[in-house]
Amino acid sequence: MIEATPSPAGTVADAASPPSPAAFACRAPLLQVEQLGVRYGAHWALRGVDLDIWRGDLLAFIGPNGAGKSTLLKALLGLIQPTEGRIVHDDAALRIGYVPQKLSFDPTFPLTVGEFLAVSHPGRFWWFGGVPRRQRAAIMEALERLQVAGLERQLLGALSGGQFQRVLVASALLQQPELLLLDEPSANIDRRGSEELQRLLHELHASLGLTIVFVSHDLHFVHHLAARVGCLNQSFCGLGPPHEVLSEHFLAEAYGTALAPGRVHFHSHV
Amino acid sequence: MSLAEIWSYDFMRFALFSACLLGPACALLGVFVTLRGMAFFSDALAHSAVTGVAIGFLVQEKLGLNLDPMLTVLVFSLLQASFMAWLFHRSTLAPDTVIAFSFTGSVALGVIIIAMLGKYRLLDGILFGSIYANSPAGLMRQGMLALIIAAVLLTQMRGYTLSTLSPELAHGQRLRTAWMNYLFALLIAATVVTALKMLGALLLSALIVIPPAAAKLVSGSFRSLLLVSLVGGLAAPLLGVLTSATLNVPTGPAIVLMNVVFLLLCYGWRLTRHHPTTA
Repeated sequence: MIEATPSPAGTVADAASPPSPAAFACRAPLLQVEQLGVRYGAHWALRGVDLDIWRGDLLAFIGPNGAGKSTLLKALLGLIQPTEGRIVHDDAALRIGYVPQKLSFDPTFPLTVGEFLAVSHPGRFWWFGGVPRRQRAAIMEALERLQVAGLERQLLGALSGGQFQRVLVASALLQQPELLLLDEPSANIDRRGSEELQRLLHELHASLGLTIVFVSHDLHFVHHLAARVGCLNQSFCGLGPPHEVLSEHFLAEAYGTALAPGRVHFHSHV
Repeated sequence: MSLAEIWSYDFMRFALFSACLLGPACALLGVFVTLRGMAFFSDALAHSAVTGVAIGFLVQEKLGLNLDPMLTVLVFSLLQASFMAWLFHRSTLAPDTVIAFSFTGSVALGVIIIAMLGKYRLLDGILFGSIYANSPAGLMRQGMLALIIAAVLLTQMRGYTLSTLSPELAHGQRLRTAWMNYLFALLIAATVVTALKMLGALLLSALIVIPPAAAKLVSGSFRSLLLVSLVGGLAAPLLGVLTSATLNVPTGPAIVLMNVVFLLLCYGWRLTRHHPTTA
């Protein structure tokens, strides 16, 4: 175990370094994870995880396959009940938007982008009477924010990977979330799409003050987007600014093997 | 037989009303049945009616209880739907495997009970039904069913659409998908019970599956899928009843053939254009 491993609710790496210029989060905790453990049968996916998520945080989880990244995201969302420990937040009705990893659906499902966003909106609407004006305005605003306004009448199955990902983010925004959780947002999209999504998420973070937590294998994406990075392998082996956590030292600890020199250039998936 | 003649008979009027109530209700239900890949599931539930009816008669004969066999059909369909849903979630068996053994197992059990009771002639009615075997009370039940299906699916359309598209998205929005899935299976079971007498187990699934399958061929949006399904679900049974009366052919098969004609027309229309990618 690397010395910088954070223990309860804190980040050794954080405490030891000045705040990252990218970190414009205020230090009021939105959500606290205390000694979280999740077990599937005899296997612990997560154990002894402590984490503070601040309001306005832009936090990434990295780690090898099976490290518990998606499990942690789902536990934050409330989809998985912790086996031990707890997740605490002041706001009983914390609004969370969620963008799942690689959505598999029937591409012949005849649902347009506009219709998909209409059913993603928490308000009711009557299919045969069209979408109410207020909901329609919210949908158009979300589409414009994600720069996919022209796709409203396109079928969901006809979108490219990048367009689809942006539509998913737009659908999550319709929940008016305080916390946006994204599972592998840059997977299945090309480099250009990934950079575009990264820029849009930065804009959402800055303009809406959203707290964003995401999981990614794409270290390039993480390096350019995150203000804090949590290196996970069942528990955190490093948590702090990207320039500290995205080092060979921490990555070797998380991935269980030393990375080849020069591998950590943030241009490829690990 | 002219239209005026057809209208002059009570049983024909009842058959036409039945077509207007059951056709669109089954089509609306069928939109989600087909999109969820549950066509075989609804077929299995329809065929479980063989056992439901057989158990009803067994109870009548052996226990001397004056029980409506439709009640045992409802109970058995619900039990079978719950059993299959439980196996989908809890076992490692593929859904089509679960359906196949439940389907064949329940039909086999039903046929054995019917054979033990010496009532083989019942099978004909269960499998093929008769739309003329109708009554004002039956129409009332069908109206109630149509209302319940419309109320549940139209008010819960958001949840059913999202969970059909991707259960993970629905979970992410904290929709209670398990509860919705059980309610959906309940709707299919209630449809089986209500429509069995008119259509029979073999033809019932055609009314559920074919209109939305046809509509999907020509729809560029979910709204048009719903509308075209409802149009097909109304038109095919109505034309089936009228054709059967005019040409003096069995009604159930005539309704199914009209559904197939509707599907072929939709397919032909699709062939004349590119596959829709926009609404």
